Amino acid sequence: MSDDGYAFPGLPLDQIRPGTTVLLAGPAHSGARELGLSLLAGPSGEGAIVVTTNRRSRRIAADCEHVGLELTADSTAILDCVGDEDADVPARVLPVSGPSDLTGIGMRYSDVHREFERSGIDSVRTGLFSLSTLLSFGDLKTVSRFVHTLVGRIDALDGLGVLLIDPAIHDERTVRTLSQFCSGRIDVRDGEKGPELRARGLSGQSRDWRAFDPSG
Amino acid sequence: MLLCVDADTAARRETVERLQAAGFDVAEASSLDAARRHVDDDLDALVTDQSLPDGTGLELVREVRETVPDTPCFLFTDVPIEEIDTAAFGDIVVEYVPKDTPEARAELLNLVEHAVAFRSQTAYPLPENEEARLAALERYAVEPEALGESFDRLTEIATELFGVDAAAVGLIDAHEQRFLACHGVSFEPMDREDTVCTYAILDDDVTVIEDVREDPRFAENEGLQAANIRFYASASLRTPAGEAVGTFCVYDDAPREFSTRDRELLELLGAEAMDQLTIRRDRRGTEAVDE
Repeated sequence: MSDDGYAFPGLPLDQIRPGTTVLLAGPAHSGARELGLSLLAGPSGEGAIVVTTNRRSRRIAADCEHVGLELTADSTAILDCVGDEDADVPARVLPVSGPSDLTGIGMRYSDVHREFERSGIDSVRTGLFSLSTLLSFGDLKTVSRFVHTLVGRIDALDGLGVLLIDPAIHDERTVRTLSQFCSGRIDVRDGEKGPELRARGLSGQSRDWRAFDPSG
Repeated sequence: MLLCVDADTAARRETVERLQAAGFDVAEASSLDAARRHVDDDLDALVTDQSLPDGTGLELVREVRETVPDTPCFLFTDVPIEEIDTAAFGDIVVEYVPKDTPEARAELLNLVEHAVAFRSQTAYPLPENEEARLAALERYAVEPEALGESFDRLTEIATELFGVDAAAVGLIDAHEQRFLACHGVSFEPMDREDTVCTYAILDDDVTVIEDVREDPRFAENEGLQAANIRFYASASLRTPAGEAVGTFCVYDDAPREFSTRDRELLELLGAEAMDQLTIRRDRRGTEAVDE
């Protein structure tokens, strides 16, 4: 990480300052999930933690590699709420009992983050794929407390957080409430010529729709 | 006040001393049962071991979430994460810090300070100016009981004006909403996470929820169901600097619409209530100078 923040080479986004969590809102097949994983691909020396709520580790690992997020056991961890402990993937895979176990996700997250810190990794990018699954297993109040706690931890640790949600399947008030815990929001849509993103609430970013390449 | 729960006396003392040295007032307990008597509105954060003689730390956190739900909770333990059954406690959310490392207490202190300052385990979003808002509340809500009569009149007028069941004026402090006046309904103080006003003070203008049961934030809210509230509208009581210290709200037992004119009138009532608070504050200030 440079002094300025987390950088995203190849994407139409300026650096984001440490401690920021963004809500990444985009419908299925819009490229939002791919964008979310691309945002986690940092320079060597940074760590990445991917929380997967509905795809097995093996599949999410393949998705990561597809967008250029390199997996190594030293600096990438997958928190797997689906149950695939024997996954043969080149990242640390940590099991969580399921997507309704928000306490377990939070504790595992803290634990692996701490291990990264001890091994000298100061900058960690965290992605959660996705809040929509958590909302289908838990109520908004519980998911809100979980998100607030996670956002607070990412802030305290100068990390970067990316929380994916599919706005098409939730009430607008649900999405707005969860966005209120985050410092900013990135919307994704399927534009005429392919996927487009728009940043909101992030200082220094253009607020216009811009095309991006979902393969990173 | 912080509460530190650990059956190991030496380890507990070390943790307590570390937190006290940072300026915290700390109560301590060696068991789940002993911890219970400290679980009240004065609790700012809970630090507990997982392994207790009469239960587990997660059981204690569950009780805290029921009584004082906003409290930041920390599991500070040397029980390995693999041995903690979180599945049955999936909805409580807790921060986890292993106790058996050299820097454990320094890390705990950092996290406790951050969580207490930013109140990062609440289940609802906080206004961006929350700290200034709470400071403003201290200044304006000097003797709110004294305003009961004038607020009673305003809420009665509001009920009649909009043709609704009930109206109320409430102040929102760090953890609770307290009502200064209610007409057509009677409210005890409510946990902030259970009130609609908690969300309303985040809005810039009048908040209208035509049907609270259709709103995902309140669909499961038992308090609203018990009070038979289906419609909600409120105007924030806002200081000149923009801090929303409370709300003027109206309720009805059936979903309904609220016209632009209704919104304007509700805003006027909110402004009137805020003026009353301001006058009272200024008068207190003058009296203090006179003395």
